Amino acid sequence: MLSRVKSSLVNIAAGIAVCAAFALSTGGAQADSNIAGKKVIFVPIAAGLTLTEAWSRRVKEHADYYGYSFDIRDPAFKMDAMSELLAKAISDKPDVLIVHNPTVQLLARQIKEAESKGIRVVQINLQSNQPSTAYTGANWERIGREIAEDIVKECGAGSGKSGEVSIIPGQLTAADSVMLNQAAFKVFAAHPEIKVVSNQASDWEPEKARQITTTVLQQHPNLCAIFGHWDVHTMGAGKAVKDAGLQGKVIVYATGGGDDKTCQAVEDGILNRVWSYDADGQGRDLADLVDVLLQGGAATDHTMLTIDSPLKIIKLGPGYDKNLCFKL
Amino acid sequence: MGVTVAIVLLLSVFVQGFATFGNLRVIASNSAALLILSCGMGMVIISRGLDLSMVAIMVAGAATFATFSNAGYSEPAIVGLTLLVTAALGLANGWLIAYVEIPAMLATLASAMAIAGFFRFAVLRGEFLLLLPPDNPAVVFFSRDVVPGLTAPVAAMIITFVVTWLLLRFTTLGRITYAMGDNFQAARLIGLRVRPATLLIYMYAALTALVAGLVIAASSGTVDFRTVANGSLLYEVILVVVLGGIPLRGGRGGMRNILVGCALIAVMRNGMTLFDLSTQMQDLLKGVVLIIAVATDNYFNPRDTETDTVGDL
Repeated sequence: MLSRVKSSLVNIAAGIAVCAAFALSTGGAQADSNIAGKKVIFVPIAAGLTLTEAWSRRVKEHADYYGYSFDIRDPAFKMDAMSELLAKAISDKPDVLIVHNPTVQLLARQIKEAESKGIRVVQINLQSNQPSTAYTGANWERIGREIAEDIVKECGAGSGKSGEVSIIPGQLTAADSVMLNQAAFKVFAAHPEIKVVSNQASDWEPEKARQITTTVLQQHPNLCAIFGHWDVHTMGAGKAVKDAGLQGKVIVYATGGGDDKTCQAVEDGILNRVWSYDADGQGRDLADLVDVLLQGGAATDHTMLTIDSPLKIIKLGPGYDKNLCFKL
Repeated sequence: MGVTVAIVLLLSVFVQGFATFGNLRVIASNSAALLILSCGMGMVIISRGLDLSMVAIMVAGAATFATFSNAGYSEPAIVGLTLLVTAALGLANGWLIAYVEIPAMLATLASAMAIAGFFRFAVLRGEFLLLLPPDNPAVVFFSRDVVPGLTAPVAAMIITFVVTWLLLRFTTLGRITYAMGDNFQAARLIGLRVRPATLLIYMYAALTALVAGLVIAASSGTVDFRTVANGSLLYEVILVVVLGGIPLRGGRGGMRNILVGCALIAVMRNGMTLFDLSTQMQDLLKGVVLIIAVATDNYFNPRDTETDTVGDL
């Protein structure tokens, strides 16, 4: 059922995207649409991040074209401010509310409240425990599983390596970290030769990731791989690997939105393999989804509409191209 | 001091890889920025002040350095301009406290918000993170060994430590700093130039913040404004100073106290990482050990009418 909903939604979205792309390419044109004047509010974890800026840019383009309003409320990483801003956004009664969940639980009650008041909530990239009208973003289970399988291939039986792995989540309760770890540990459970020697959160900060990695490398000089849950903080870990003179020996894995800084880090050898969910592409998926919801689209059985972001694996080698990354 | 030694002994016995020379180097390099910041904060607190804007100035200084170097300025110009901007921020703090007579805590709390806000929106145009390329002068400088075995961040830490010690111990400014902390009104009444001294103290704190900022930015390859927002580094700096034995009412303590406080925090952080404890468990243990440290100190050095003065927290 879900796949049917997904495929029909993707078809609608693709149609709209083609129209929108055509119209946008004509420059500043406006559609004569039935969704003009509607209201969309976005509450990200913080504005000013490449991810959130990439998403906002695309929705803003669609808002300008179709004539609906698009408003960003920036809590700047402050969780209490985020709940307050979301409460204010709900009281403003938008037609669509876009929410970027910092943890699986924090905004669950408010998402439920918004839906009960008829506001259609789209969750972007990080999903809450509470289902809503739609979700678009990375399939974290898939990313965690694929990276873990790659680690097993590189560090597991027959590789001649230690099998020691260090995991650096953002926060242990963050939605993506929870799912990435669950998926990875499920894979590792079938491979006892893989030993997770460290699993410590960096609070998304590169400097903390660097300090953790420096200490872990001291105790485990034969470390085979580092699995960082976000490319930005994992760059700190990659820097520690470089400073220890272990570049090339320790494989640094990360996930991320895939902007030009990610490609630069891969070229510099700070990161080795990045599973990119392409934040720019996500922005277009999000904008299409908002357009569809504003036009009344919904799953016929009231399940959550879902668009999984296509993945790109960024690593040096024959298939590498700078254009795998986008530039804001 | 006793708690620090006890923790070192415990970790040496129970944690494989703790009592090694390599790990000592890791502890030194990971706590370089913390100790550098603590030197500046220590001096401010001894003068009965408090600088809550240190982490904001630290990030602002590193952001200024990165912005000028990305803009292609020559290295002397980058260093000169960054020093100027950072000193001006410290001067502004000192002026608010000494001349406008706003309490240090409020003045620096307000300036921290203003500095972080201004730099994030006017300089970084809303970005939270500034990534430094590997050829950035700060990255190049702090990535190398000054002499074999002595990394640049650790050298910067030692130099800051020695300079702060010399300042406090052998200069007029140092003596005025202690006098201000001991009894501010008396220091003022006997004709010590407490206002210019306050300016210099906050400027020095700002400069130590700049050095720490460059060390962190160079080692992690990023200038990260979230360090200001989440606040944990600032609390750690104040903890280092207070746990080491410098009272918040000022007037006492010295570099030995800062070294002990920093060693306690750095050793705990390192040991808990080696133990692979979760972040939540680390916070819990840190809190418990800190309470034990303060309680033990109170037991062995009970308060009396001489030490239990107004303003002590």
